[in-house]
Amino acid sequence: MKLLFKLAAKNLFGAGMRTWLNVIVLSFSFLIIIWHKGLLDGWDRQAKNETISWETGGGQYWQSGYDPYDPFSLTEAHSKIPSSFDTLLSRGDIASVLITQGTIYPRGRIQSILIKGINSNQKLLKIPSSLFPEDGDEIPALIGRNTATDNGIKTGDLITLRWRDVHGTFDAGNIKITGIFDSDVPTVDMGQVWVPLDRLQKMMDMPGEATIIVWNNEQKADVRVAGWSFKTNEFLLKSITDLIKMKSVGGIVLYIILLSLAMLAIFDTQVLSIFRRQKEIGTYIALGMTRGQVVGLFTIEGSLNSVMAGLLAALYGIPLLAMQAIHGMSIPGGSKGFGLAVADRIYPFYSLGLVITTIFIIMLTTTIVSYLPSRRIAKMKPTEALRGKLQ
Amino acid sequence: MENSTLISIEGLKKYFLTAGGKFTALNSIDLTIGKAEFTGIVGPSGSGKTTLLNIIGSLDSPSEGRVIVLGKSISELNVKQAALLRRTQLGFIFQSYNLLPVYTVFENVEFPLLLLQLNDNQRRKMVMESLEWLGLTDKVKSKPAQLSGGECQRVAIARAMVKKPEIVLADEPTANLDAANSHNILKTMVQLNKEFMTTFIFATHDEKVIGYLRRKISLVDGKVAKDEILNN
Repeated sequence: MKLLFKLAAKNLFGAGMRTWLNVIVLSFSFLIIIWHKGLLDGWDRQAKNETISWETGGGQYWQSGYDPYDPFSLTEAHSKIPSSFDTLLSRGDIASVLITQGTIYPRGRIQSILIKGINSNQKLLKIPSSLFPEDGDEIPALIGRNTATDNGIKTGDLITLRWRDVHGTFDAGNIKITGIFDSDVPTVDMGQVWVPLDRLQKMMDMPGEATIIVWNNEQKADVRVAGWSFKTNEFLLKSITDLIKMKSVGGIVLYIILLSLAMLAIFDTQVLSIFRRQKEIGTYIALGMTRGQVVGLFTIEGSLNSVMAGLLAALYGIPLLAMQAIHGMSIPGGSKGFGLAVADRIYPFYSLGLVITTIFIIMLTTTIVSYLPSRRIAKMKPTEALRGKLQ
Repeated sequence: MENSTLISIEGLKKYFLTAGGKFTALNSIDLTIGKAEFTGIVGPSGSGKTTLLNIIGSLDSPSEGRVIVLGKSISELNVKQAALLRRTQLGFIFQSYNLLPVYTVFENVEFPLLLLQLNDNQRRKMVMESLEWLGLTDKVKSKPAQLSGGECQRVAIARAMVKKPEIVLADEPTANLDAANSHNILKTMVQLNKEFMTTFIFATHDEKVIGYLRRKISLVDGKVAKDEILNN
C-alpha cells in the first residue's frame, strides 16, 4: 500500500498541469463549502447568543395563558409574580416582563405596537432599562433603532400612546423616548415599546403582575411553579434553529453543485488517464503488478487529488477564512426587516468538526469517483494494453 | 553453456474469437528452451511470435496444451501467482520501450525493485550497477522524453535486467532503432547473456537480430516450421 501511495504521488506530480487544474477546482470546493457552512454556523451562534442576551436569558416562565402567536391571549395572559422570585427580582438577577397591546401616533401616523414593561433594575437582559429615569410625568420609554428609524423617532421625542387597561377601558398618555438601543434581535425591536414595569402595571391596573419572567439559569429552573410554565432555550430558540437548518439544506444544493463540478473533472481525468495510459497499465502488469494493484494505484492517484486540494485550500484558505472570522462579513441592513436575527456583520465560525467532516466527505467522494473508472483496468487484457490498443 | 530446461511447451494451441469465427494463433507447438539460451522466435507478421512470447511471459494463457515456465504451469497460475512469476523471474523488453513517462531513468530502472520491496540501499546499488552495464550513468536524472530511441531501449534493457531475472522476453526490441543502435543493443544483450547466464528469447523478424541468435525457431501460421541452432 505504501508503495502504491508513493507511485501514485509520483504519477500525480508527473502529470503536471492536468493535476493542478483538478487540484485547484477541488480546493475551491473545499473552501467554499467550509466558508458557507462556517458562515451559517457563525450566524447560528451569533443569532442564538444575541437572542439569549436580549430576550430569552436562561429560559422563560410563561404565564399559562400566554401565546406569543395569539395577540388576543394577551388580555388574559398576566398573573401575580410568584413570591418565590422576589429576592432574585429585587437583586435584578431575573427580569419580569408584562406585555400588552397598544398604539402610538408618531408624526400623526398610527402604529400598532406591543408595550413591554420590564423591571428597571434588571441586569439579566441587554435591554438598557437603566435608562428609565426615576421620576417624571411622562412615561419613559425605550425603543429599538429599527422602530425609531421606521417611524422617524428620536431620543427625547414625546409620542402619544394609547392602551386598554385590565378593565377594558381605553386610556392614553405621552411617552418620552429616553433611549434608543441597537439590537440585532428584531423581536425586541420591531414594533415594540419598552417601559418601566411598575409604570405599565399601574397603567394596566395590574399591580405585581407579569406575562413572562426571564430566568437566569436554565439548570436551576423550577418547572413546577403553579400557573406558569417554564420554556427552555431549546424551545425558545427553535425558530432560529429551524431557519438555520433550512438554510443548511439549501446550502447542500450548493455543495452538490460544487462537488459535482470537481468530481466531474476528476472523473474525466481518470477516464482519460485510463484510455491514454493503456501502455503504462500493460507495463505495470508486465513488470509484476496485479490488475488489482493497478486499480488501486489509479484509485489512489485520483483520491490524492483531494489530499493535494486540501493542502492547497489550507495554504490560501486559512488566511482568507481567518481574516473573515476576525473581521466578519457585512450583511445588508434590510435583512432585519424580514424579522431575522441578523447582525450587521456575521462572523463565520469554523469548527474542527466542520473542517474534518468536509475533508472526509470530499475525500470519500473523490475516492469513489476515482475508483469507478479504474475498475475498467481489471477487465483489460494486458497483452492488448501493452500495445496501447483501446479496449 | 545451455543445459537445464527453463521452458517446456507441449501441444500448445491458442485460439482467439473473432467476428469471423475462431482464429488459431498457435497450433500444436512443442518446444523446450534451456538456461542461458539466446533464442529467437522468428516469422512474418501474424505468425504467432508475440502470442507465444506473451504466453511464456504469463501475460496470456494457453487455450490447449501445457506451458511450463521455471517449473510453473502457466495455465494453472492464478493472477497473483502469475504476477509474482513476472515480478521475480521474468524481464520484458518491448518494441516501443514502454518506459514510464513521468519517471526518470533511475526511477524507471528502480521500478521492478520497488515491487520486490528491496530497501533503499539495495535498490540504489542494483540500479546503478544496471545503468553501468548499459552505459547510462550520465542519464540518471533524465526523463524518457529527453532520450534518443537507442537510449530508451537501453533503459528498458536495464529495467529488464536490474533484478537479474532467469528469462528476458524481448518483443521486436530493435524495430524502432537504426542499424547502429540495433547492433549496440544486441551486443549488450549478448554480453549480459554470457555474463549472467540469463535466457533471452526474442520475437523478431529483424535480420540484424537473427545475426546474433544462437537458436532460431521459425513460426509460420502458428506452427514451428523450423528449429535450428546457429553458429553465432
